[in-house]
Amino acid sequence: MNTSLAQRFIQKIALVYPTAKRWLYRFHGGVFPPYHKSLSLRQPIRPQLIPDRLILPLQQQVGQPAELLVEVGSYVKKNQLLAQSHKDANKDLVVPVHAPTSGFVEAIEAYSLPHASGLKAMSIVIKPDHKENAIDNVLNVNGALPETPQAIKEILFHAGIVGMGGAGFPSYAKLPKEKGKIHTLLINGAECEPFITCDDLLMQTKAHEIIQGAVIVADALGADKLLCGIESNKPEAIQAMQTAAAKTRVEIHIVQTVYPMGGQKQLIQELTGIEVPHNLHSVDLGLLMMNVATYAAIYRAVTFGEPLTSRLVTVSGLGLESPFNIQALIGTPFAVLANAAQPKVEIDYPLVMGGPMMGFQVQDNQVPVIKTTNCILANPPEPIEMQMPCIRCGECMDACPVNLLPQQLYWYSQSHEFDKVEKLNIADCIECGCCSYVCPSHIPLVQYYRHAKSEIKVIHAEVKAAEIAKQRHEFRLARIEREKLERETRLQAKKDAVKKQVADKLAQAGDSPESAVAPTQKSSPAVLAARAAAARRAAKSKATSTKDHNEPESDQLSPKTPVQEKMPTARRKAIEAAQKASEAAGTEKNPKTAAKNAAMAAAKKRALAKKQEVDAPPFESNDRPNETSTATSTEQRAANIPDVTDASQSTQTPDLTLDSTSEKLTKEVDDVTQNKRQKAIEAARKRARERQAKPPETN
Amino acid sequence: MIEALIIFIGLALLFGLLLGYAAIRFKIEGNPLSNQIDNVLPQTQCGQCGYPGCKPYADALSKGEAEVNLCVPGGTEVMILISEITGREPKEMNAPDEDTQIKTTAFIDEDICIGCVLCIKACPVDAILGATKLMHTVIQSECTGCDLCVPVCPVDCIEMRPAETTTVNWQWPDPADAAIAAITPDQGSEK
Ligand code: SF4
Ligand code: SF4
Ligand code: SF4
Ligand code: SF4
Repeated sequence: MNTSLAQRFIQKIALVYPTAKRWLYRFHGGVFPPYHKSLSLRQPIRPQLIPDRLILPLQQQVGQPAELLVEVGSYVKKNQLLAQSHKDANKDLVVPVHAPTSGFVEAIEAYSLPHASGLKAMSIVIKPDHKENAIDNVLNVNGALPETPQAIKEILFHAGIVGMGGAGFPSYAKLPKEKGKIHTLLINGAECEPFITCDDLLMQTKAHEIIQGAVIVADALGADKLLCGIESNKPEAIQAMQTAAAKTRVEIHIVQTVYPMGGQKQLIQELTGIEVPHNLHSVDLGLLMMNVATYAAIYRAVTFGEPLTSRLVTVSGLGLESPFNIQALIGTPFAVLANAAQPKVEIDYPLVMGGPMMGFQVQDNQVPVIKTTNCILANPPEPIEMQMPCIRCGECMDACPVNLLPQQLYWYSQSHEFDKVEKLNIADCIECGCCSYVCPSHIPLVQYYRHAKSEIKVIHAEVKAAEIAKQRHEFRLARIEREKLERETRLQAKKDAVKKQVADKLAQAGDSPESAVAPTQKSSPAVLAARAAAARRAAKSKATSTKDHNEPESDQLSPKTPVQEKMPTARRKAIEAAQKASEAAGTEKNPKTAAKNAAMAAAKKRALAKKQEVDAPPFESNDRPNETSTATSTEQRAANIPDVTDASQSTQTPDLTLDSTSEKLTKEVDDVTQNKRQKAIEAARKRARERQAKPPETN
Repeated sequence: MIEALIIFIGLALLFGLLLGYAAIRFKIEGNPLSNQIDNVLPQTQCGQCGYPGCKPYADALSKGEAEVNLCVPGGTEVMILISEITGREPKEMNAPDEDTQIKTTAFIDEDICIGCVLCIKACPVDAILGATKLMHTVIQSECTGCDLCVPVCPVDCIEMRPAETTTVNWQWPDPADAAIAAITPDQGSEK
């Protein structure tokens, strides 16, 4: 009684001081635009209209596109699943696509999306056959109500239900996993935007479905309180909802008619008194709000197994003779609906999706109705008011329902100081347009905020990408380092093994010279030579091993390792012996000279490999002529070319010195050399890049 | 007199201990200046600055060995940040900013690729996937657009393409541009 007295008093004051109405509700700011709602309320809901073709984008408002399940030419029935998600649905926010009516798939092409960008996306185009062949209960529900959040999430996912109030966030992703996390379920029937009446009509005609849908969700989530907020300018809807809610625990609250009462955080504050903090979602506070249309869709999905394939759409605007509401099939082109409302003049201006405050102009009037299309607005273009400088009147600040400082946001947005814009909590701006509405200088403030928001998003994405790139680069450096170490240890192990073998062999040879060195050998001088060579080599390798160990060049030998390790020991021994023998036999029978030669060959080989590595960069420079090559690198290249030729020639030398008796061996050695060469070149390339990059600029 | 001395010596000791403790307790690992610079570099790891990556460039900058205007992908913006951090004079960029602004990523024509693995070795962030003699491909989300893999490909099958605009990365236009565009013809007609 008291409150109503106060209310009446305030309403009286409002006659002389309009903003006094702001005292009537709990959130800050808000505006009172002309509503024009009666335009589309003059007619009852129109019967369904099946257009000549339906365009179903694979991607809805938010999230990733779904995966196709049909082909061009295939016949689809109403409610049939056309595209499904195989990915992590929760992360990618994929929404499945169902056929709104039966017909043939005419094309799968890129079509303009009902998105402010006018970008195109893959869409399924269906040519309806007007037969309405339907698959009943596509979702395979058995009438049992979902008991757990998981169960209802499953149904919502398969039904392709998204938030139908505007944002289009997939409902399955919005619901929490744990039962009892939500204590209060809220029903948003405020519908505060001018012109739009689809929720109003839905509440008038399907109040029962809305209430039942809400109760189903509340039961599944374990919420005990159910609140519904409806703006005071919809008396018939309030009446219908109150009747439908009579025997349930749903409480219907009549809220003030103010824009943006239908904003999620605003209505939550109005109904519960809780102001959702800027860094939290309402779900974190145990509150979940969904639109009336979403609840109705949930009811149909749970009880009839029907996916979301049509929705109530308001077709209105000052450019239309007879605006109406219609249960439109998802995918109906905007122009078809607008033309059905008898436009006063031919519609050659862009239609608006959504209301006049938050809606946006579509780039192409043939864009389809999607699950979030609540209104198609045909308002003939008005002359654009000339934008004036900000006079710092503070009107926008008083109107902002989120308590932001729009004039400051504008100031920094237009000077592109996005870090400052971010500090002023632009992320909390709901883009309601109140500030632009009241601004006496006609500054399109929201446009600035939208631009700033997308810039900030890009900046964040870049920072994140840079962080990832840094990590990956560091990981790569660490990996290269680790691989080098591993190679060295492997090499060391192998060397030790060889040393041991040689020692063993020598020991054995002391006992029985002939039997030790295998049947492959025929002449004893050769055997002797081999032994001597082996001894020398062992000594040599011992001497150089420390040096090799510390140098990256040591990878020259590594390719051998896997080949040799795979061989049976006997075979390896034989090959080794043969190699030594052939080296000896190829030059002279004198063991001493042979040994010397062998040692020299080995040293040569090593030196050569090393040289190769040092000289290799020119190869690369030649390969990359249009790189950032400076004069220095060109000189380098020129100076180094002869060396390369040298190197590649002398690479042959060790092979040539080998005797042809062991062809297989030669081949293997060849392979190894080949491998070695490639490895060396690659390693050198890497280093060269670093080196090439370094020198000139430092001075 | 004595009391004053005792008090001051006591205070000096106390603060000395406090400072000493703070120096150990709040010690910053690594080179803070170089890390700070590294954080503002674009991490493209492209080597256009003449160093084998962003970190080495940051190190060189922190030692005062490098010019502030070498990072090409970062452009003037990053140059200014660097000069602010290092407290040195900003310098004109050598390369024009414009053509570096559009972010591109590498694409491999998978029909032409011979699987030589050269590009894998060139990629500073391991964004290329493939094995010897097998087709290679670029993980788009990890590619930094550094161009390093393009010149090494022996069959020239790698090309840099600008990132595709989708509803996810689409940006609202700057209303200031629109306003200017709306005003300019008016002025023209008046004159
Ligand atoms: S658009 Fe953003 S800044 Fe402007 S009134 Fe709405 S919430 Fe506030
Ligand atoms: S309402 Fe417009 S003119 Fe007034 S302070 Fe805000 S931006 Fe400036
Ligand atoms: S030029 Fe390339 S490597 Fe050098 S700092 Fe810039 S992004 Fe990093
Ligand atoms: S460098 Fe070229 S050919 Fe070689 S693997 Fe990479 S893409 Fe394929």
